[in-house]
Amino acid sequence: MAQVAVRNVVKKYGSLQVIHGVNIDIADGEFVVLVGPSGCGKSTLLRMIAGLERISGGEVDIGGRVVNDVLPKDRDIAMVFQNYALYPHKTVAENMGFPLKLKGRPKDEIAAKVKKAAEILALEKLLDRYPKQLSGGQRQRVAMGRAIVRDPQVFLFDEPLSNLDAKLRVTMRVEIKELHQRLKTTTVYVTHDQIEAMTMADKIVVMRDGHVEQIGAPLDLYDRPANTFVAGFIGSPAMNFVLGRLEGRDGETVFVSDHGTVLPVPAGTAPRPEPVVYGIRPEHIDVRPGGIAATISVLEPTGSETQIFARIGEDPLNAAVRDRVASRPGETIPLSIDSQRVHLFDRQSGKRI
Amino acid sequence: MMRQSSPILYLVFWILLSFLTLFPIYWLFVISVKPAVDLFTTPSLILDTVYWNNYVKVLSNETIRRYMYNSLVISTSNAALVTVLAFMACYALSRFDLAGKENIFFWTITNRMAPAAVFLLPFFLLFTQVFTIGDWKLYDTKIGMVLLYCTFNLPFAIWTLRPTMDGIPKELDEAATVDGATTWQVIHEVVFPLARPGLAVTFILTWVFAWNEFLLAATLTSFNARTITTGLSEYVTTTGTEWGAMASIAVITLIPALIIFSMVQRHIVAGLTFGAVKE
Ligand SMILES: Nc1ncnc2c1ncn2[C@@H]1O[C@H](COP(=O)(O)OP(=O)(O)OP(=O)(O)O)[C@@H](O)[C@H]1O
Ligand SMILES: [Mg+2]
Repeated sequence: MAQVAVRNVVKKYGSLQVIHGVNIDIADGEFVVLVGPSGCGKSTLLRMIAGLERISGGEVDIGGRVVNDVLPKDRDIAMVFQNYALYPHKTVAENMGFPLKLKGRPKDEIAAKVKKAAEILALEKLLDRYPKQLSGGQRQRVAMGRAIVRDPQVFLFDEPLSNLDAKLRVTMRVEIKELHQRLKTTTVYVTHDQIEAMTMADKIVVMRDGHVEQIGAPLDLYDRPANTFVAGFIGSPAMNFVLGRLEGRDGETVFVSDHGTVLPVPAGTAPRPEPVVYGIRPEHIDVRPGGIAATISVLEPTGSETQIFARIGEDPLNAAVRDRVASRPGETIPLSIDSQRVHLFDRQSGKRI
Repeated sequence: MMRQSSPILYLVFWILLSFLTLFPIYWLFVISVKPAVDLFTTPSLILDTVYWNNYVKVLSNETIRRYMYNSLVISTSNAALVTVLAFMACYALSRFDLAGKENIFFWTITNRMAPAAVFLLPFFLLFTQVFTIGDWKLYDTKIGMVLLYCTFNLPFAIWTLRPTMDGIPKELDEAATVDGATTWQVIHEVVFPLARPGLAVTFILTWVFAWNEFLLAATLTSFNARTITTGLSEYVTTTGTEWGAMASIAVITLIPALIIFSMVQRHIVAGLTFGAVKE
């Protein structure tokens, strides 16, 4: 186990720069998730930590050793690939034992370790099979087994669940988390799925276009997103954004949208001349008598929750409520916004105010 | 269409096809076991008498035995060398970021675009005048023939093997590297086993080319490195053609080819890479 530090790391493909000076500190035993939209450079960053991609600038440090010029095989890391990358000509047991075989470990030690890993991952019955005889979830487990048998300093995962169906994804998510709680190995996990990030991470790194937008614990990111990008990316359903200004009225500050809708802001907010972005999460809007009148456009009941796509004047607003909604599209309902949970961002920079 | 026709028709079709393929070989065999007189008196396809004398004569001929041996050594060394070189070339072409690699790849095949006869004179001059050390010449040596066939077979082999190599997912190399493998171990443990079907095909095709090649062998060897195909032509003389002996040599030359095929064939198992990565 080891801590990992990424310092000012830059990646260029010729003249094209895809990672722009990224800094991340990962503590020993921490589970860090790199999350961001497709093409933001998550895989590239992970592959630089693994040593599969050259580092164009900055440093990667694993366990106190700068590894920029260390070959992948000498970094003592294990990686699980999106498409599993199992050796098709080797059995499950041979796949899992391969890293140990390369280290020249004795056969009985390899067999014992493979057996132990197989027990953890419920693969005992499949040890003699070939990858093509396994289901997607089983292949995924074998890939993880290959990673854990060697007890590496760091686990690297690149979207390991994206090829599984929704249900299996949830199961494997829990399994990976359990595995981490049990082994406590430092882990860097890449995904574009913010739910995976929220549920698994000790610490989330939100990336966009090769920049880090924010680093923090899942709930910190949810409660205090640093900018509109993080605010919109973290949380499901996504946060509502309304463009407007903060104006003083009768000694109080209110938000007035560009379309003239007036919405409440946290107590103590000062008016400001620059335009702002008003953010409120759907789950922080409730249907309550005395609320702001809104017209329902679409209702999406999911059983546990109902999503209300509504409009206040010209401004669309999405609410998610626990209670069943009796009203129908086209009707008016009162929406009440929890003003303490409103997020305000500068419109120009997108930064949190 | 096939599925609707009856099994009988299906059978007849394949019997007919096998017959077409095997008939010339049978004919050859019939000729090889008949005395010369029979061949010209009453030509017949029936195997009434079996006359082994052609074989005895040919096999007891030391020159023929040498030609046979030369052919075996040259073909097998050539196939082995070409397969190894093509494997390494294709690994590099498929895995490394080489500047202009697609151009290099295309360029390799250009020397197969002209008929081999075009190269006869240049090669003859090279082998007799240029590649010499003191009295020693590349002309009429086995090593000379092996190298010569390399220049013809290697481009072809690279083109045959490239799709196999590109078909092995790069993630497997990467996974092995992260698992702790050196480049050599990646090749030995992962790439080579998965490329085996392609390598087998390459080996066979190269071997057959060298085994059957006549024109260059006839020009660039005289005695020491002469191969069986050229040896065969020595039975066509101004005083007549010894059909029986020629046929028996031809039958004999089929045997090593059959052995090589049966040895290599079991490696040609398609679909082995399935399941490596999820498509
Ligand atoms: N070999 C390459 N040459 C040039 N550009 C590349 C190369 N590999 C990746 N890129 C670019 O680098 C950027 C980051 O790619 P990367 O694969 O890291 O994205 P990602 O965040 O993992 O996306 P995804 O979620 O789709 O996997 C992309 O814009 C991509 O086009
Ligand atoms: Mg990726």
